[in-house]
Amino acid sequence: MIALTLSFPPFPGQKYGPSLFPRILGGALILCGILLINRGVREGRPAIALAPWAHDPWRVVSFMLIIAAALIAIFSWSTVGFVPVTVVTLAGLFLWFRVHPVTALLTAILATVLLQIFFGRQMRIPLPLGWLLNLPPGWLKYIT
Amino acid sequence: MWNAFVQAMGLVMDPYVLGVCLASAIFGIFVGAMPGLTATMATALLVPVTFYMSPVPALGAIVTATTMAIFAGDIPAAMLRIPGTPASAAYTDESYQMSQKGQLNLNMGVNLVFSALGGLFGVAILIVCAPWLAELAINFSSFEYFWLAALGLTCAIFIATDDPLKGFAALFIGLSIGCIGQDPAAGHPRFTFGSVELLQGVSFIPAMIGMFAISELLRGAVTVDQVGRVVAQQVGSIFFGVGTVFRRYWLNFIRGSFIGTAIGALPGAGADIAAWISYAVSKKFSKEPEKFGTGHIEGIVDSTSANNSALGGAWIPALVFGIPGDSITAIVIGVLYMKNMNPGPTVFLQNPQLIYAVFIIFILANLLMLPVGWAAIKSAKLILRTPKNILVPIILMFCVVGSFAMTNSVYGIIIMLILGVIGWLLEENGFPVAPIILGLVLGEMFEMNFMTSMIKSDGSLFGFVSRPIAAVLGAMTIALWAFMLIRMRPKRA
Repeated sequence: MIALTLSFPPFPGQKYGPSLFPRILGGALILCGILLINRGVREGRPAIALAPWAHDPWRVVSFMLIIAAALIAIFSWSTVGFVPVTVVTLAGLFLWFRVHPVTALLTAILATVLLQIFFGRQMRIPLPLGWLLNLPPGWLKYIT
Repeated sequence: MWNAFVQAMGLVMDPYVLGVCLASAIFGIFVGAMPGLTATMATALLVPVTFYMSPVPALGAIVTATTMAIFAGDIPAAMLRIPGTPASAAYTDESYQMSQKGQLNLNMGVNLVFSALGGLFGVAILIVCAPWLAELAINFSSFEYFWLAALGLTCAIFIATDDPLKGFAALFIGLSIGCIGQDPAAGHPRFTFGSVELLQGVSFIPAMIGMFAISELLRGAVTVDQVGRVVAQQVGSIFFGVGTVFRRYWLNFIRGSFIGTAIGALPGAGADIAAWISYAVSKKFSKEPEKFGTGHIEGIVDSTSANNSALGGAWIPALVFGIPGDSITAIVIGVLYMKNMNPGPTVFLQNPQLIYAVFIIFILANLLMLPVGWAAIKSAKLILRTPKNILVPIILMFCVVGSFAMTNSVYGIIIMLILGVIGWLLEENGFPVAPIILGLVLGEMFEMNFMTSMIKSDGSLFGFVSRPIAAVLGAMTIALWAFMLIRMRPKRA
């Protein structure tokens, strides 16, 4: 952080500028880091300690799936579209969390439709249509 | 003033606004009653929904939802021994003990009535204090605001955590994240790495959704199959006996509400800390301290009043100085900026009708709590049966869409995800999240006032204490720093 501020110009006629505040913060963070490491070493704590749930593979996958669901949205919404991706993501999560398959699929479709109606139609958020753009033009007016 | 009040009444009594408040009340009750979902999370989730609303319904939705959520947290506390929100944690055991003793009705009645009364107490203080403080603050310059922000940030660490070192680290992380984007004094781009989207800084609402909702969902995902067992008792007439409790413990109610409002007004500390402190105070001054922990109503009166009164208290510094009193008002400040109601003393002069409208909605929300809360208690078993394995994925998608909506691009989702994971990692390692949020919210104002003051005083630090109020605020801040440094010293064996 401090290294990145080296290229910031000072205010005209002053010795300081936009770099001053980040440098103070960078210095303070370094100090906090040193004190925390020092304390950890003195108390003999391990550098990394896993939570009890980390030994249960099902829980680890559940945890990772939350992050994966957001990543899927980031990388596939613009090409595949909000509706198909969300239905599949939600259904997948429900199934992993042991929801009955029929309930999982129906809830995934219903939740996606409600989100599309509320955000996409009512609030006019440009949720990416993706594959839905291939639908006949008459159908799109019911979606957006 | 009278004209502004009449205008405010007109704004609030609009059927659309009342409808939004009622819907938010039901939403708030649901979120509050579901263990693992917090009032702050309710606020973060509401922001994308209220984005296109005018200021009054948008703020009305947040005020009503949070008021309800803080009360609703008491329901699973008594029935499941799991607090619905952290604000109910202080007296969860006490409430559950009462339920075990067959006093669930009285417990629910006391929680409902004293939550509403405590909320009204907090609002009364807000109505009296906020305009008075605004008049005082109108003469503040950048020096006073700098110290005020410094004092607020220091308080956040002092009260919200018992580990000042981790508190400071969290604060510096928040302030550092706030540095991303154009610097507030000269507009020079910092840490943007050529990204146009980062020029406007880290988008605030997706950051909040990440810190408060995603980190909670990450925790929820690993416990999705764990459900508590609801107390089998039937809920009967909940208001029976509440009058007797009030006559016996009215002083506890006033004390709890006062402590709650004061703690709410201190930056960084919200309803949860207010409840813990007032419960401890109640036990210390009780004539029957030995009964605490056995299902005794006295401590519940203090703390359930305190957590709801803290909500009103937190709005005092948020409206007057733009310094949030708790994590909910940290989000509210972002909403106020989005609605062009920049918090500060001038908002009381420029938009008094909007401020009065917030006051009126606060009062309405606390009155509405009685019927809506009663209905929630009656249907509690149904609410508490909502399967978590369906709720977690739906809330996740709501967060993703909400974050997208704030930036109209996946940039919002990226911010949400990164800060969600950072927030989760930090919290798991004992770092408090509140100072990060405060750092993020106050960073720009803090730096702006710091740089302006530096320029005004020509780089001399003496300028920072040249005005009397600034000197007093500065002395208070430095005294707190010194106190915390002493507390941080390693203890000798």
